[in-house]
Amino acid sequence: MDFGSFLSALTPLNLLFALFGVAAGTIIGSIPGLTATMAVAVLVPITFSMQPASALILLGAIYTGAIYGGAYAAILLNTPGTPSAIATTFDGYPMAKRGDGDLAVALACFASVFGGLVGAFALLFLAPPLSKVALAFGPVEYFWLSIFGLSLIASLSNGNLAKGLAGGAFGLILSTVGVAEVSADIRLTFGSQTMIGGFGVVGALIGLYCIPVLIDLVAVPDRHLKVEQGVQSVKIKPAFLIALNSKFNLLRSSVIGTLVGILPGAGGSVAGLVAYSEAKRTAKPHQKFGEGEPDGLIATESANNATVGGGFIPTLVLGIPGTPPDAVILGALLVQGVRTGPALFQSGGGSIAYTFIYGLIIATVLMLPVGLIIGRYAYKSIVSIPKAVLVPTVAFMTIIGTFAIRNSVSDVVIMILLGVFGWVVGRFGFAASPIVLGLILGPIAEQGFVQTWIIGSAIGDLPGMFFGRPISQAIVAFTVLSILYPIFAARKHKRAESNSEQVS
Amino acid sequence: MNSQPVNTKPNVMGSLCVSLLFVLVGAVTLFDTLSYSDVDSKVFPRAAAILLILASVVSIVLTLLKPVADEGFGSGAWWRRALLISAMLIACLLMPKLGFVTSSAVAFLGALLAAMHDQWTARTAFVYIVSGFIVVGGFYALFQFGLNVPLP
Amino acid sequence: MRRTFIKSLLAATVLSMSVAGTAKAELSGSVNYIIPFGPGGESDISARFQQPFFKEKFGQDMVISYQPGGGGAVGWASLNGLNGDGQTIMGVNLPHIVIKPAQKDVGFTTEGLNSFHWFHFTPDAIVVNASSPYQTLQDLIDDAKKNPGAVTLSGSGKASANHLAQIKFDKMAGIKTTYVPFKGTGAAVTALLGNQVKAEWGYTTVGAKQGDAVRMLAVAMEERHPLFPDVPTFKELGFDMVGGAYRGIALPNTASEETTELWSSMIAEINQDPAFRQQMLDGGFAMLDVGTDEVDEFMKARTEQYLADARAAGLIK
Repeated sequence: MDFGSFLSALTPLNLLFALFGVAAGTIIGSIPGLTATMAVAVLVPITFSMQPASALILLGAIYTGAIYGGAYAAILLNTPGTPSAIATTFDGYPMAKRGDGDLAVALACFASVFGGLVGAFALLFLAPPLSKVALAFGPVEYFWLSIFGLSLIASLSNGNLAKGLAGGAFGLILSTVGVAEVSADIRLTFGSQTMIGGFGVVGALIGLYCIPVLIDLVAVPDRHLKVEQGVQSVKIKPAFLIALNSKFNLLRSSVIGTLVGILPGAGGSVAGLVAYSEAKRTAKPHQKFGEGEPDGLIATESANNATVGGGFIPTLVLGIPGTPPDAVILGALLVQGVRTGPALFQSGGGSIAYTFIYGLIIATVLMLPVGLIIGRYAYKSIVSIPKAVLVPTVAFMTIIGTFAIRNSVSDVVIMILLGVFGWVVGRFGFAASPIVLGLILGPIAEQGFVQTWIIGSAIGDLPGMFFGRPISQAIVAFTVLSILYPIFAARKHKRAESNSEQVS
Repeated sequence: MNSQPVNTKPNVMGSLCVSLLFVLVGAVTLFDTLSYSDVDSKVFPRAAAILLILASVVSIVLTLLKPVADEGFGSGAWWRRALLISAMLIACLLMPKLGFVTSSAVAFLGALLAAMHDQWTARTAFVYIVSGFIVVGGFYALFQFGLNVPLP
Repeated sequence: MRRTFIKSLLAATVLSMSVAGTAKAELSGSVNYIIPFGPGGESDISARFQQPFFKEKFGQDMVISYQPGGGGAVGWASLNGLNGDGQTIMGVNLPHIVIKPAQKDVGFTTEGLNSFHWFHFTPDAIVVNASSPYQTLQDLIDDAKKNPGAVTLSGSGKASANHLAQIKFDKMAGIKTTYVPFKGTGAAVTALLGNQVKAEWGYTTVGAKQGDAVRMLAVAMEERHPLFPDVPTFKELGFDMVGGAYRGIALPNTASEETTELWSSMIAEINQDPAFRQQMLDGGFAMLDVGTDEVDEFMKARTEQYLADARAAGLIK
């Protein structure tokens, strides 16, 4: 490949930028409410006075660090630091609760670095062909992808499907509040100006996940997380062994993350959910997903970091940002005078693109030591801070984080009230995750459905539009599989058990 | 999940109430869709509302047929929960008037009192309140100056 | 082009006068520039273009933040509650700020917004995939006449500039096409590139960004865009369509007249910078310079036009 670009990515200054970017991104990402988009947007003006390549490396490093940092809050506080880490809470928090928080943090780091590298190498070697994925996905594919994501509700509803479905449908309704995205109506605001912008995803995540944890924390004097006596450092070696053992899961989830990252309408949260769903479908019978299964954590964390590299593929090749942070970076590129397009990847004109990609790879590698060190401090401080300080600190973070999204106090009030609501219904078997799934996937499902319907009516072939296209057929097949497989597997498992009982 | 005695009837009032509430939400949504002018904005909320009502009704029927005891609110001090939430809400109401730092201090103090289970001593009081100032001040600086978020 | 040039001359004169007359108002630190949409759209890109020039000319940082929600309504509804000391400005868009309040109560009114300077617009354009069988606008019209409703065009949102243009053009050409709303121009272009739709109602910026991957059939300008000398205007082809989405800047209505004048002159000064103009033109934008002296007249004319179009289209009563 282009070794000149590789060397220019390796200048001490660029390495320093990558190191700083990863560290800053990790810390920003770990604070609920501070998203990668915001971190990147704030730093864009600084990059105007820098070399384009260095600027890009800094922005890319912050972005990838923030996606990883989101895992800390997800594992230690059950609150996704960024929306990408939603599925990380499913198994990460149970792990932390039973005393394996240190293991989970280290595992998340390994998985994130691996996923990040897979995404970045896909960007390096396969960007122009892979950008076709973004174009192959039309409205109907997005619609079915969101239905596939919603099928996870079946396994997230703790054995009570009716309650899970009700929660999911409630989330779908929440997602429609405010000015409709692709039509001109204002829905379910009941005349209130406050609700016109709808429920922001980040605020809703903080409310639904974090407030219930806080309410439960203050009520009883027990410690927040179980701690084994004497263990005070992050368990690097056992985490590495677990990651090595799950190499197939790592690879599959990273590939899923890369592909979903390429889709401009999806993003890290969807990637994590799809990878989690696949990991669960192919789980061995003894694995209990949702109760602290390391493989669940590995799947989501490798997938969401793979979306970083994946998201840059349409951004750099087609000029279509894969994710919101990509959109900010694309704007910075335009100001720097860099024209995106396939030409960026042809030899000669492509040195900036390649320097950036090498920089992203270097930043991802640097994330390993940086992530382990910061993770160790994050874990230590969460377990050692007395509850009386931990609770107000986290409560304060939820307030300032929610406020910062839109500079709106009413968003904070909505967040708190939604959190109390989530806590109450959660106490009666209506878990938060189906509601969140509905809220996140609702807009994708609705827009995909409406667009498919309009196009299908226009060409006079609605069934063909919804069921006739090969990619959507494949997604439908996977959806059916992931709903039916657990039932099938459970039956098989039972039979095997009764057989072994007969033998003994 | 709670250790309910097996012979008494499990308490399912909570599940029933929440399910009924969801049925109501579905009905309100259906009613709201009547006012939309664009057919494209009606289809999806209606489908979701019907799904919500169906799932909630099934949940009610299942709860009545095969009652599983609710987890319930569990043990724990209600005043602490209430104090935490009201401190946070009061901080939001005060924020436009008193500014960010003062109202955050209110939220911090309220949550601190709610979460304090140990005996208060002069030392803990001092340490906790100082750490509160550091946290509020640190985040204020980070957002106001580092991230350029205009705080009230 | 000539018209904009005269306008710019006018503005430059006004600018030099206003700078001389209003020494009182000045900036006191970094400026917060709120974009009421998410990142990546035309509003964001043009703000990013302004950012370095602002710093260079006036010495203060321009901090861009995003407050998406309700198709811009959340931001605009909050604008007049913000501090009017001139340290906070917000992007405004036409036709959004006219159509939205005319449809429903969205927490702001067109007249209530202190939009004091319009600095560019993105002319409407019909864009097709490079592999499309439509070589000219006439090809598209012929196909639409043969198969009413079967020609699908993507666009950004409903009751938007794209949607209004589609309805207006259908009436003029006597055809029936199907408009497919997407969330933002980016998604609409993706659908076009992926051949999910047959054409797109977009802007000249799409042609600039996508280059050879797309072909523009016509642009809604008075004269051809300098970046696309081969693309005809609708007027040349016999359709009286000139317009697009206009972007400007607003202050909270508590801002003093001096502050407003100062800002208008600063935006005008950036707009006059040849390097900035070149960047914008290369991006496919069309320059505009409607300052405080002309803004009332401009808004009145545009508002009437948009309301008439929207009423004819049945989007408002």
